[in-house]
Amino acid sequence: MTHNAVVIGGNRIPFTKSGGPYAHASNHDMLTAALDGLIARFGLSGMRMGEVAAGAVLKDPADFNLTREAVLSTTLAPDTPACDLQQACGTGLEATIYIANKIALGQIDVGISGGTDTTSDAPITLSDPMRRVLLEASAARSLGQRVKPFTKVRPRHLSPKAPSVAEPRTGMSMGQHQAKTSEAWAIERSEQDALAVASHHNLAQAWNDGFFDDLVTPYLGVTTDTIMRADTSVEKLAKLPAVFGGPNGTMTAGNSTALSDGAATVLLASEEWARDHHLPVLARIVDAEVSAVDHPGGADLLLGPVAATGRLLARQGLTVSDFDLVEIHEAFASTVLATLKAWADDDYCRSLGLDSALGTIDRDRLNVTGSSLATGHPFAATGARIVPTLAKLLHARGPGTRGLISMCAAGGQGVVAVLEAV
Amino acid sequence: MTTLTLDQMPSMGAGFARALMPSRRTQAALPKDAVTVPHLRQDSARLADYARVCGFTLRDTVPATWLHVLTFPLHVHLLGDPAASVRLMGAIHVSNSMTLHHEVHITDPLAVTVHANNLRAHKRGTLVDLNGAISVDDQMVWEGTSTYLASGVTTPGDPVEISKTPFVPHTPHATWRLPATLGRDYRRVSGDPNPIHTHTIAAKSFGFPRPIIHGMWTHARALAALEGRIPSRHTVNVDFVKPVFLPSSVGFQASADDQGVHAAVTSKDGSKPHLLMTVTEALMEHTTPSDVSLTDR
Repeated sequence: MTHNAVVIGGNRIPFTKSGGPYAHASNHDMLTAALDGLIARFGLSGMRMGEVAAGAVLKDPADFNLTREAVLSTTLAPDTPACDLQQACGTGLEATIYIANKIALGQIDVGISGGTDTTSDAPITLSDPMRRVLLEASAARSLGQRVKPFTKVRPRHLSPKAPSVAEPRTGMSMGQHQAKTSEAWAIERSEQDALAVASHHNLAQAWNDGFFDDLVTPYLGVTTDTIMRADTSVEKLAKLPAVFGGPNGTMTAGNSTALSDGAATVLLASEEWARDHHLPVLARIVDAEVSAVDHPGGADLLLGPVAATGRLLARQGLTVSDFDLVEIHEAFASTVLATLKAWADDDYCRSLGLDSALGTIDRDRLNVTGSSLATGHPFAATGARIVPTLAKLLHARGPGTRGLISMCAAGGQGVVAVLEAV
Repeated sequence: MTTLTLDQMPSMGAGFARALMPSRRTQAALPKDAVTVPHLRQDSARLADYARVCGFTLRDTVPATWLHVLTFPLHVHLLGDPAASVRLMGAIHVSNSMTLHHEVHITDPLAVTVHANNLRAHKRGTLVDLNGAISVDDQMVWEGTSTYLASGVTTPGDPVEISKTPFVPHTPHATWRLPATLGRDYRRVSGDPNPIHTHTIAAKSFGFPRPIIHGMWTHARALAALEGRIPSRHTVNVDFVKPVFLPSSVGFQASADDQGVHAAVTSKDGSKPHLLMTVTEALMEHTTPSDVSLTDR
């Protein structure tokens, strides 16, 4: 017996720049705040959810049970189970797929997915040698044994280790990887700046239209996304220096996502449960796929989702032109542009084992209420930001309209999902 | 009673020093005036620190005990008044009652007013109430009463007994480990400078073998343990039965019935109470204080 897993709605807190108004908030605080708003919006107080799945990419070791602890801080019934799930920048979407699959299989009726990240309150850890000294000392059985490991401590061991955004196997940051991709796919600076400007203008328009009124609740005095620049223009962005790809690079602070803080959640249920509880039914989760490319072998790190998209469309008998709306996560403007070029490239798609190119889309169907460049990208939260946004947009366009979500993630991975308005 | 208006919260100054200095007078006397700070902005960084020290999640809405902390400098200022002979130093916080009538957001500008009253004779001194009231846009959102036992001062009348809240020992649901540094942490977030919470010598001079944690920390920690389980508008009554020494481990237990949630911070084995707490839903119609408005007396 399978069920339609549907999106009822979502809630997030406004996203802000790292070190900004949420500088003192932890992942626990932000995830709880996003859940609080979701619970209030849909009257879930005191109810037991089948499961809550959420995660964070930069996670403090003390938050080993982050999601369950956040659930216990809310008014959800304390017998609501929860788990942490992590799929780099795809976390929020992967968590949504996890909950939707359980609903589809009839294992649960209702669940919540989400994600949170803070680069302001990021975990800082001991250096590896220092960690080993402390572990050795704590395992010691006598005072002599306990003291001895400390004789190995050197001043350099005392400097703390901040979390790194570099790929472990290449030592290169996301931006450096994407700079290689930008060059290989000949992604122009002007195209990137234009895409970034569109993201800001679309997001600002959506805020002006009140689109986010039932998707966002204020937190710590912040009422709208603070990275958004409604008045930005290609002229303004053209003045910024390149930050990746050397002096002749095309990627700037304006067409790359900012380090951000924020949290987002999605309420999912079987269609029957949603109707029994008189809750909105926006869109169903049709299908999803995850893929990876061999980036240590030289593949484009952030084009991971292309293979997933191809396989998913083939399985569903769809082409990219069947989608009324497409959400491609804007890790960098160049990532979106390279993804679109890759979709249209026969040779590239065949190299991934696909039958042919996926095709092209109308650009006016892409990221119509803005995406990560303007909103910000608190890594794990982004997928849970996109799902309710897209579900609401599709629902407004009428039953049967389809949407595609494509998200790149660290490790050369990609998470892709198809939604259809109910 | 008239109301003295201050432009801002008094800082750690002469008022604090006076409020901590012993008084030579033996007859209990209170300042006649209420003191108000009509425009107080809350500091979200300090709230975050307070939340971390007490175990609250940092939300857009603030805990009731945080609002008490905001009234505290005014209590100290009040008792630093030359007319007052009741001193905070050596006074024992015996019970506390507060009501959150409406959710308060961290962005809300607050009007804070305090006054002292209700002197009652007690066999070990005098009981006194320190009252606080907070409003947002002229609407009462919070009010609280802290009852202290001041030794060394007397007041006329028959001694009253402090009514004892019944306590039934239970196996604790949780163990809290209170580190020796907790007194300093809570001093930082509360501004309460009383050295009996931070220094052994000061604690010994008041008959305690070790520093004791602020009663309002224990209160806040217990309220934080109930987050998600109590109504957003609530009345919380607390009896401080026995001080908690630092460092130490204590037990916590809570249960709910028709009346509300009952919680206790106990010895580690659950046999002896340190703090007893009852949380009930605040009555909706009770949006103005039952006694006359503080500012009009």
